[in-house]
Amino acid sequence: MSTIAAHYFDGKRALRHPVTLVPTGGRIKIVGRDVDAEFESSRVRVSTRIAATPRWIFLPGGGACVSDDNDAIDRLVRERPLQRVVHRMEAHPAFAAFAVLLVAALFWAIVDYGLPYAAARVAEHIPVEAEDALGREALAGMDQFGLAPSGLPEERRAELAARLGALAALAPDAPAYRLEFRSAPIIGANAFALPSGIIVLTDELVALAQADEEILAVLAHELGHVRHRHIMRRLLEGSAIALLVAGVTGDVAAATSLAAAAPTLVLQSKFSRDNEREADAYALGLLRRAGIGPQHFGAILARMEAQAPRGPMLPTFLSSHPATEERKALSGGQ
Amino acid sequence: MRPEFRGSAAEYFRIWIVNLLFTLLTLGIYSAWAKVRKLRYLYGNTRLDGDSFNYFASARAILKGRVLAVIVFFVYAIVTELVPDSIWVFLAAGVALLPLVLVRALRFNARNSAWRGLRFDFPARVREALPLYLAMPLLIVVTLGLAFPWFMARHKQFVISHHAFGSSPLGCAIPVGKVYGIYFRSGLIIAAMTVVAVLGAMVVSPMAVLVPQAGWLAFLLPVLAIYIAYAFAYAYLQARLTNLAWDNTYGAGVRFTSTLGAIDLAGLYISNLLAIVFTLGLAVPWAVVRTLRYRLQNFAMLVSEETVHEAAPGLVNIGAAGQELGEIFNVDFGV
Repeated sequence: MSTIAAHYFDGKRALRHPVTLVPTGGRIKIVGRDVDAEFESSRVRVSTRIAATPRWIFLPGGGACVSDDNDAIDRLVRERPLQRVVHRMEAHPAFAAFAVLLVAALFWAIVDYGLPYAAARVAEHIPVEAEDALGREALAGMDQFGLAPSGLPEERRAELAARLGALAALAPDAPAYRLEFRSAPIIGANAFALPSGIIVLTDELVALAQADEEILAVLAHELGHVRHRHIMRRLLEGSAIALLVAGVTGDVAAATSLAAAAPTLVLQSKFSRDNEREADAYALGLLRRAGIGPQHFGAILARMEAQAPRGPMLPTFLSSHPATEERKALSGGQ
Repeated sequence: MRPEFRGSAAEYFRIWIVNLLFTLLTLGIYSAWAKVRKLRYLYGNTRLDGDSFNYFASARAILKGRVLAVIVFFVYAIVTELVPDSIWVFLAAGVALLPLVLVRALRFNARNSAWRGLRFDFPARVREALPLYLAMPLLIVVTLGLAFPWFMARHKQFVISHHAFGSSPLGCAIPVGKVYGIYFRSGLIIAAMTVVAVLGAMVVSPMAVLVPQAGWLAFLLPVLAIYIAYAFAYAYLQARLTNLAWDNTYGAGVRFTSTLGAIDLAGLYISNLLAIVFTLGLAVPWAVVRTLRYRLQNFAMLVSEETVHEAAPGLVNIGAAGQELGEIFNVDFGV
C-alpha cells in the first residue's frame, strides 16, 4: 500500500508535525522528523468522510493525525456501510436533485397527512377539561371586548337550545357543549366554538336567519369544531410546525426569522381551512340525519358573507376559511 | 492571520439536502447526526494558518439533549396556551435556569471544538454566571430597559473571557459607554426608517381604495419597510457589537480584530431572506456559506509573539441538554 501525507498533533501542544503514514499489514507506522510511532489499525478511530473535509485519525493516547487524502484513508480503513452510502449520496449532484424531490414529497406527506393525523390522535387523549381555564378566559375576554348580554327573550333562547339539543342527540358521537347567547354589535352575525366546548351564538345571526334550520346549520358546524377537538389540534399542530420550520431554516441568522414566520403562517391557515372543511362535513352529516336540507347551510353562509364588513382581501392561501363559493357548492346551495 | 473557508455552497447544499432527507425519514431522530455532519463540514473546511478546525461532538449526546428539549418545548407551548397565567412560572424557571443552560451549552460547544489537535474550553463555573444573569433581568425591569446595553456588554465579556484554547485563556474588557452609543444609534436608525415607512404607507394606502384587489399590497408594503428598518438596525448592532467585542479581546501573545460592516451585513440578511423565500428554503445552505465566508473575511488574529499553546489537563465530555434547550428557546449564546 502507498504512503499517506499527513500532519501529526500530540494533543498536548498545538504544534504541527508533518508526517508520513505507512500502512503495513494491520499496522500503521507514523514517520516524521520528531515523530516515530506505530499502532495497530484496529485501535485507531477514523472520522467519517464528509466531502473533501480533512480526515482525522485518532490514535490511542490522545494524539491524532489529519490528512486531506480522503481516498487513501478510505483504503486504509473501510467505513461502515451506512456511512459509505451517506457519503456517496452527498457526492452526487444527481442524487441531490432526487433528494430535493423526495424532501418535497415528504414535506407534503407530513403536512397534509402525518401532522393532522398525529395531532388528532394526541388530542383525543387530552381530556376536554384541560381546556376549561382557556375557555373561561376566552369567553371573559370576548365579553369585555365586543360581546354584550343577549337581548333575546328567555323563551326564544330556551327554544333554540332545545332544538340544538335535539339535533345533537341524533349524532352517535355528539360532544359535550355549552351554548351561550350574546349580542355582538361589532362582530355581527356569527357563531364560534371556544375552548372546552363553549359555543357562542350572536343575536345578530338569529336576526339574520330566515328559518331556525339556518341557525341549526351554523350551530352544527360549530359542534363539528368541538367534536373534532379543533382548538387542541391547532395548538399541537402549531407547535409541531414551529419545530419543523425551525429545523429547515434554523441555521440562518436570527434576522431571517421572517423567513420562518411566513411558511408558518401559510401552513397554519391551511390547517385552519382543513378544520373548517371537516366541521362543514360534520354539519352536513348531522343535518341529513335530522332531515334538514343542506341548502339552509349554503343560504345562511351566503347571507353572512354579504353582510360581513369587507376587510382587505386576502389571497386564499392566507385565508382561515375556504372560499364561500366552495362551501356553497358543497351544501348544494346556489 | 485570517481564517478562510475553503468549502463551497454547492458541496454544502448536497450535505444539507441529504441531512434533511434522512431527518424527515426518521421523524427527526437523524437530526442529531445531521448536526454533527453539518458542523464537521463547516469547521473542517475553515482553516487558520493552514490548519483546519475540528468538531467532534457525539451525535448520541446531542440526540439525548434534543429529545429533552423537544419535550420541554411541547409542554411549554401547550401548557402556556391552555393556562395563560402559567407563562410566569415558565419565565421564572427560564430565568433561574439560564446561567446553567448558558454555561453548559458553551462548555459543550467549546470542548467539542479543536484546532491543531487542541480543544477549546469554557471553564466558567455556574456560580460565576449567577450574579450577572440573575440580577440583570431585575435591573433591566427596574430601569425600564436602560440597563440592557450594560447587560449586553457584560454578557459578551463573560462569554469571551471565559473561553480558553487549551490552557490559554482569553481576556476581554468591553467599554460600556461605547455599547450605549451603539444602541442609541441603532434606535435612531429604527426611528428614522419607521417615519419613512409611515409616510410611504400614507402615500400607498389610497391605492387600496382605487384598486381593491391590491388592498393586501397596501398592507404588506409598510410591513416590508419596517422589516428592512429592523434588518438594518439589527445588522448595525451585530456588526458594531461584534467588532467592539473582538477589538477588546486578547490572549497570550495575540490580539483580535473584527471589521464587519453594518451595510454589508444588512445586505447579506436581506438578500439571504429573499433568496430563501423565493427558493422555498433551498437557498439556506448558500446563505449559510456566504454569511460564514463574510464573517471570516472580516476577522483577524494579530500574533505578536509565537506561543505554543498547551492542553488543559483532564477535560471530560459533558451532556448536550443545555445546548439543545438553549437552541430551541433561542438563547443568544453568540458573540
